[in-house]
Amino acid sequence: MSALPSRAVCDCPVDAITEVADGTHLLRFRSPVISNQSLPGQFVNIKVSGGQHPLLRRPFSVCRVNAREGWFEVLWKVVGQGTAIMAQARPGDTFSVIGPLGRGYTVPESTRTALLVGGGLGVAPLPFLAENLAAAGTSVEVYVGARSKGDLSMLEAFGSLGLEPVIATEDGSVGACGFVTAPLTTRLKELQGAPDAHLFSCGPTGFLKAMTALSKQYEIPGQIAIETVMACGFGICVGCAVPAKRQVGTGRRYKLACIDGPVFDSDEVELDG
Amino acid sequence: MADLTTTIGPLQLKNPVLVASGTFGYGQEVVGLMDLNRLGAVVTKSVSLEPRPGNPPPRICELPGGMLNSIGLANVGVEAFVEQKLPFLAALDTKLIVNIAGRTPDDYVAVIHHLEDQPNIDGYELNFSCPNVKKGGLEFSQDPTTTAGVVNVIRKQTQRPLIAKLTPNVTRIREIAQAAADGGVDAVSLINTLVGFAVDVETRRPRIHAGAAGYSGPAIKPVALAKVLEVAEHVDIPIIGIGGICNVTDALEFLITGACAIQVGTANFIDPGSAPRIVDELEQYMNAHKLAALPELIGSLKKWS
Ligand SMILES: Cc1cc2nc3c(=O)[nH]c(=O)nc-3n(C[C@H](O)[C@H](O)[C@H](O)COP(=O)(O)OP(=O)(O)OC[C@H]3O[C@@H](n4cnc5c(N)ncnc54)[C@H](O)[C@@H]3O)c2cc1C
Ligand SMILES: Cc1cc2nc3c(=O)[nH]c(=O)nc-3n(C[C@H](O)[C@H](O)[C@H](O)COP(=O)(O)O)c2cc1C
Ligand code: FES
Repeated sequence: MSALPSRAVCDCPVDAITEVADGTHLLRFRSPVISNQSLPGQFVNIKVSGGQHPLLRRPFSVCRVNAREGWFEVLWKVVGQGTAIMAQARPGDTFSVIGPLGRGYTVPESTRTALLVGGGLGVAPLPFLAENLAAAGTSVEVYVGARSKGDLSMLEAFGSLGLEPVIATEDGSVGACGFVTAPLTTRLKELQGAPDAHLFSCGPTGFLKAMTALSKQYEIPGQIAIETVMACGFGICVGCAVPAKRQVGTGRRYKLACIDGPVFDSDEVELDG
Repeated sequence: MADLTTTIGPLQLKNPVLVASGTFGYGQEVVGLMDLNRLGAVVTKSVSLEPRPGNPPPRICELPGGMLNSIGLANVGVEAFVEQKLPFLAALDTKLIVNIAGRTPDDYVAVIHHLEDQPNIDGYELNFSCPNVKKGGLEFSQDPTTTAGVVNVIRKQTQRPLIAKLTPNVTRIREIAQAAADGGVDAVSLINTLVGFAVDVETRRPRIHAGAAGYSGPAIKPVALAKVLEVAEHVDIPIIGIGGICNVTDALEFLITGACAIQVGTANFIDPGSAPRIVDELEQYMNAHKLAALPELIGSLKKWS
């Protein structure tokens, strides 16, 4: 895994905010520090309100960055108070952001074929990863699953890299009807055991469980980006524990999602729920 | 220039702003996010004799004005603490207070034995919110006799400053503080978390895996201040105030009520720069109010006529 890079508490002005899908927003922050330091799969922790409601910061994956222009983007869906407040942001507003945080995706040197798989909002960290992989000359295939057409976002970000995501929607409104694991499985059968293929996924827990199972079944190593509740995001509250799969000695051992993750090898942690 | 130095019994600190145990890791985690040398002292996460993996998740949940936690005292254990964590902390230009957790009085004694030979430790804070296995899980500071008993045993082990950190989950905290003072501690820290509980109405499960948990954050400040007031009025012992402190106004309330130092806890999670900012703003406040030194402020609460 990559070493912890330097991170900082930054006051970041909003450059732009767009509703890119139903209730889904893409916000561009200006921050030379964070855009220069971030790696794909890392996250930022945002203070969404100037006051104490909500009290804690809200974590979001770094979705895209442009280090040269000094900006990074986050993509989110409104699910509660914090994400609703962020949706009200306007260009020129400033947020306190801590980042970049955590360990992101690690691309093994042997990787020739990278399969990027996003379930729902799990697409968030993938454009940044796709861009870096494409720049390194790795063959990138993107798989995106969503409930419906209106929930899909960031497709043009992949398009601008010359990538055409394979899409599946649960209601069949676009792409294959059903879960994205179906078209992915077809591809994994072809690749079975390939030493130079690697799976990179992000999404809800049930989806990550499926990805872990596929990774094992088709002998393609994978990495998953998980979500937990977080109070701090940088290792001081010890609240973001996830049970480790490989137990050392007797009794349970835990990993911390914010510093040991949020990206883990798919056989590294137990997924609940 | 106002003089921010403060004394907690035998302990001299360059300023009264500390960070609370369990809300600051082992210090190393915040490098780059704040300047640790600005603190009056660092209080470590609770250290126990054996390493503890901690509780199953969820360990934390957010509530209006605060949060619940049941981390389960996850820590590396005293041996690994000395080897891996102490060198960094000892090299800081600030005082170091090691917070100790135990299940029995002997546990506290054993941890202190491991730490006594280590230089650069300026005091021990005894986490007396730990369940006492010999008393059916009652916290060490929920009963004056137990508090006095455990303090008596520990006091014989060390010349270093001892601070008893008390639970607020009692009827009369003054009785506990008095028992700790009689047993020979140099100061008391008030307060640890309030016991609290929350339910997820969709799953109908407790929102924290362990069930009842510790409530912290801005919401508990008035409770903490009332405990500080009670002890300040009735017991002759230095007090370190803790509970919901986020800014200089919060810190001032505790100092004026009678605390000679304060600890910043939950606020570190949201803004790791909170404590150094409180130091700066405290100095500004003192200058603006023509206060030359901290003793002019501490316990300066005025009565209504
Ligand atoms: C490392 C990390 C990266 C993340 N990246 C993204 C991202 O790129 N885009 C995005 O939309 N979201 C992301 N999340 C989730 C995001 O942080 C939550 O959606 C957000 O905190 C909810 O805040 P709220 O105040 O709107 O909701 P709250 O009022 O706090 O909660 C509303 C509902 O959302 C659920 N919820 C809260 N937090 C989470 C969580 N962490 N995961 C899943 N459900 C949650 C609650 O259980 C509740 O049902 C990430 C989380 C983590 C830990
Ligand atoms: C996540 C978390 C972990 C804590 N761990 C400890 C601990 O290990 N030992 C201890 O004495 N107190 C611990 N505390 C209590 C704090 O030190 C402090 O007394 C309490 O949180 C009240 O202060 P606050 O409202 O400023 O957070 C912990 C608090 C939190 C929120
Ligand atoms: S979120 Fe605080 S330690 Fe991970």
